[in-house]
Amino acid sequence: MNTPVLMNSSLLLTALIILTPLLSSLTKTTKISATSITHTIKMAFLTSLVPTTTFIYTGTESITSYWEWKPIMSLKIPISLKLDQYSMMFLPTALFVTWSILQFASWYMSTEPNITKFFLHLLVFLMAMLLLTTANNMFLLFIGWEGVGIMSFLLIGWWHGRAEANTAALQAVLYNRIGDIGLILSMAWLASSMNTWELQQIPPTQLPMIPLLGLILAATGKSAQFGLHPWLPAAMEGPTPVSALLHSSTMVVAGIFLLIRTHPLLANNQPALSTCLCLGALSTLFAATCALTQNDIKKIIAFSTSSQLGLMMVTVGLNLPQLAFLHISTHAFFKAMLFLCSGSIIHNLNGEQDIRKMGNLQKMLPTTTSCLTIGSLALMGTPFLAGFYSKDLIIENLNTSYLNTWALLLTLLATMFTATYSLRMTLLVQTGPTRMPPTSPINENNPAIYNPITRLATGSIVAGLLITSFIPPLHTPPTTMPPHMKMAAITLTALGLTLAIELSNLTQSPTPPQPSHMSTFSISLGFFNPLIHRTSSTNLLNSGQKVASHLIDLFWYKKLGPEGLASLQQTMAKTSTTMHTGLIKTYLGSFALTTLIITLLTLN
Amino acid sequence: MSPLHLPFYSTFILSALGLAFHRTHLILALLCLESMMLSMYIALSTWPVENLTSTPMLMPVLMLAFSACEAGTGLAMMVASARTHGSDLLHNLNLLQC
Repeated sequence: MNTPVLMNSSLLLTALIILTPLLSSLTKTTKISATSITHTIKMAFLTSLVPTTTFIYTGTESITSYWEWKPIMSLKIPISLKLDQYSMMFLPTALFVTWSILQFASWYMSTEPNITKFFLHLLVFLMAMLLLTTANNMFLLFIGWEGVGIMSFLLIGWWHGRAEANTAALQAVLYNRIGDIGLILSMAWLASSMNTWELQQIPPTQLPMIPLLGLILAATGKSAQFGLHPWLPAAMEGPTPVSALLHSSTMVVAGIFLLIRTHPLLANNQPALSTCLCLGALSTLFAATCALTQNDIKKIIAFSTSSQLGLMMVTVGLNLPQLAFLHISTHAFFKAMLFLCSGSIIHNLNGEQDIRKMGNLQKMLPTTTSCLTIGSLALMGTPFLAGFYSKDLIIENLNTSYLNTWALLLTLLATMFTATYSLRMTLLVQTGPTRMPPTSPINENNPAIYNPITRLATGSIVAGLLITSFIPPLHTPPTTMPPHMKMAAITLTALGLTLAIELSNLTQSPTPPQPSHMSTFSISLGFFNPLIHRTSSTNLLNSGQKVASHLIDLFWYKKLGPEGLASLQQTMAKTSTTMHTGLIKTYLGSFALTTLIITLLTLN
Repeated sequence: MSPLHLPFYSTFILSALGLAFHRTHLILALLCLESMMLSMYIALSTWPVENLTSTPMLMPVLMLAFSACEAGTGLAMMVASARTHGSDLLHNLNLLQC
């Protein structure tokens, strides 16, 4: 059978399977429930393995254009889907992770009255994300981009009775909107200069900086780089399945995915690549520093996500899009698993999210804590787990490239801090004395808990090996380097672990540690939120009031027009009123006398 | 004076005398101003017809525009004085506070 036809038809079948619960909820024919939706996504995952396997064994890539939307005759906007290595590898990864998360959510959200609506929201989000990844032109990508942004808003504010959840959802939408300005700028520039939105029709010559800066701004907003990052820790107000799906595996990588798709435009422009590099290095170190002193388990994992996104941005800045995509795929497995383990811990402790009030969970939740340890080891880049294949390659490429030394130092420091906060979280959660009240029953005997977590654990062990075995690399990895460079990642991880053990011993000494500048910076998240949230909006509104209201409305339209004239007249009238004596009869009588005399004079 | 011009002159003189000698309402003065304007308008309109020149045909319309503005201003001031002093009787335009 013709392989592109096979791939496209199985992709359409997968999309139809995912859409089935949504369509049947609209027509209300069959009863849908949480378990039926979970089975649907499992079926979609198995179906999506068909085009992926076809791609792996034959290397077939295809671009399909369906229908054309013709608002104006000169700009053609077809619905065109591209099936290349990125979309073919992302599809089964995303569906596998979604299947596990939906199975977990059927236990986690079991007391929720609107659980079916929650699952349908997650399905709409999944459709938008898959549209984004298979899009071949900027229009379809923009539709998927906006779709994931809106579903993120709806899902973060799922418990909308809670004021902090509404604030966090609004924060997410606003920061994403600032990034959307960049995306729309690039789209407008492309439509006006290249007359196309298809990614293949753009010549990879020297492009001016404006569209590239627009794309980088879009990635900064969606992928929470430094400057537009505060929404990601705040998004932890949503339920844990939402955090696991959106804010670790799929939505936040959309910005990086955009840069991967448009990387031929960036490849020839060294200032744009350096911008990506330095921005990514800054955001990875900032997020890792903030994660060191967090006490909420979900916020630690959120900052860890932000740090890994910075690392992906660094990889894009090194002109290695395939390696960034590899890190996206492997990161999805272990980050989703970390979130699911934290969800299991939180529910079992009856809503406790503070790691200072957890301890000794290794004896009580053995599966969950073992998978937590596996996920942390994969995150740190332990040799031959999933994270190693992407992270170690990135560090090796960093060390052997000609780049900004500051970016290199920051990324290496962030690698060390990754190990530190992971070990701190592990020590405080799993070991040590029990610091929680003994009244909540703790067990994980439900298969809806341990099946997804162990499935994702298997994925985070073998995924790196599987993906790198089947996808040929686009560039030769660095083969020779001095031994200290080769061992740099491992050495830094070991140093980070030592630092974590030293810090935890410090807190148990007789004299409590004094707050230093470093710890204050870390605890207050760099003072970014209070500095930026108040001042920027105050300045904007103040200057708006001065220009629009005071200058234009009150001054130019009023004072220079009617009211100014009136005030001038009033000045003169007030001056001359004192000179009037009010003898109206005398004035009018002299007027009448003059008129009569002139009439009589002209009579002759 | 020709019999054509007599009505114009007499209307104008009588309205001017009416403006000078009104004693009761402010609106009477405004009415007299309007009739002065009306006589001037018709006079200005018949003059180019008499002299068979077409250039001064514009002048009546110009005068009408300015007199309309003036009538509006006069009415606004009458309304303002009616608001502050209660009516437009000239006897009320004083500084008495009781």
